[in-house]
Amino acid sequence: MFELRNVTKSYLTPKGRRYVFRNLSLAIPPGKNIGLIGRNGAGKSTLMRLLGGADVPDSGTIATDRSISWPVGLTGGFQGSMTGRDNIKFVCRIYGATGEAMREKVRYVQEFAEIGDWIDEPIKTYSSGMRSRVAFGLSMAFDFDYYLIDEVMSVGDAQFKRKCAEVFKDKLQRSNVVLVSHSMPEIEKLCDVVLLVRNGGIQVYDDVAKGIEAYNS
Amino acid sequence: MLRGRTVSGVEYPVFILVGMAPFLLYRNTALRLMDSLRENRSLFGYKQIKPLDTYVARVIVETCIAATVYALLVFGFAWFGFDMSIHSPLEWVFTLLLGLLFAFGLGMFLALVTHALPSLKIVIRMAFFPLYFISGVLIPASYLPQTMMPVLLLNPFLHILELIRAEVLPHYTPVDGVSVTYVFTFTLVLLFLSLGAYRARRMHLISTKNG
Repeated sequence: MFELRNVTKSYLTPKGRRYVFRNLSLAIPPGKNIGLIGRNGAGKSTLMRLLGGADVPDSGTIATDRSISWPVGLTGGFQGSMTGRDNIKFVCRIYGATGEAMREKVRYVQEFAEIGDWIDEPIKTYSSGMRSRVAFGLSMAFDFDYYLIDEVMSVGDAQFKRKCAEVFKDKLQRSNVVLVSHSMPEIEKLCDVVLLVRNGGIQVYDDVAKGIEAYNS
Repeated sequence: MLRGRTVSGVEYPVFILVGMAPFLLYRNTALRLMDSLRENRSLFGYKQIKPLDTYVARVIVETCIAATVYALLVFGFAWFGFDMSIHSPLEWVFTLLLGLLFAFGLGMFLALVTHALPSLKIVIRMAFFPLYFISGVLIPASYLPQTMMPVLLLNPFLHILELIRAEVLPHYTPVDGVSVTYVFTFTLVLLFLSLGAYRARRMHLISTKNG
């Protein structure tokens, strides 16, 4: 579960301070797959980063008793001038997978992302589809209680989406997902709870259909 | 042309190399630490990685580059017949490491200051330019105006460079007032300050998007 207590988050821009969330308190029940929906710039990705501990609130606390993946997104998380293999090894070392475990994970990601010998090219030469396949595969190579997935699946082709769904089905037996997506069918299929991020506030909908309706209205 | 000129009994190119290489390493370290947050922002997605890690990594990278370049230059100089032997190697390594620690403390301090006030970056970059002259990179410190010495000796870079040269060149005498204790104390205070400020600001360093 996640519990947010009095969370305030702002960013400093050249024109002053902009608040994304102000005094936000809510609890997300355990064991649910969470969908984050909202307009561009509403703060979905910020909320996800906060949940994952990749960013910290200005004030307030975010408590959880589960292991959470890094936010798997289209941007960030990779060093562009290093090769795909080096990036994978880097993350493996951070998460303590060395030796045979590391080789196993590199093999897994290479196979899952279907990048073949592109794995030894610098990440910055990858197309966005390849990059997202590597990012997604890499997070799937590790076991977490929650996976934070930020619009990664939406750029893949049909075949890749099918593959993602297969792996997900397997993973979701034991784990949960926090999904940012603009694709409502995807949210409907994967999520049990929807958080609608709007105007600096968050509404929790236990009924996914109602949440989507509220988003569309 | 250059071979004929000597400074305190050593050939001028050797004299320059011995002082300038460490100075450039320290300057690069201090300046590059200001950018390491921005350059490595995407890595903070992994919550195990802290800003301090990026600082340390930057120092290691800069040191490796400088060591490689220095080794190549020393080899090249020796090839052409310059005497590149080091008078007291152990003390030399110690001073180099002390200087690196000082540069690390300074760089971290500057990184924390410029994170709070990003517009100071350009001023700090410019301030490093006169340091070239008042630290005695190109000339021995004894050539600097003696009346200004008490003020110039406040600059730890001057101490470090004089110490390094005295340790490498057999007949070099540093100016009066150069002391390893001063550098050591300065470094200790600076490290205390910057690590303390880092501790206080560590959450902000990850969260805000400037810097």
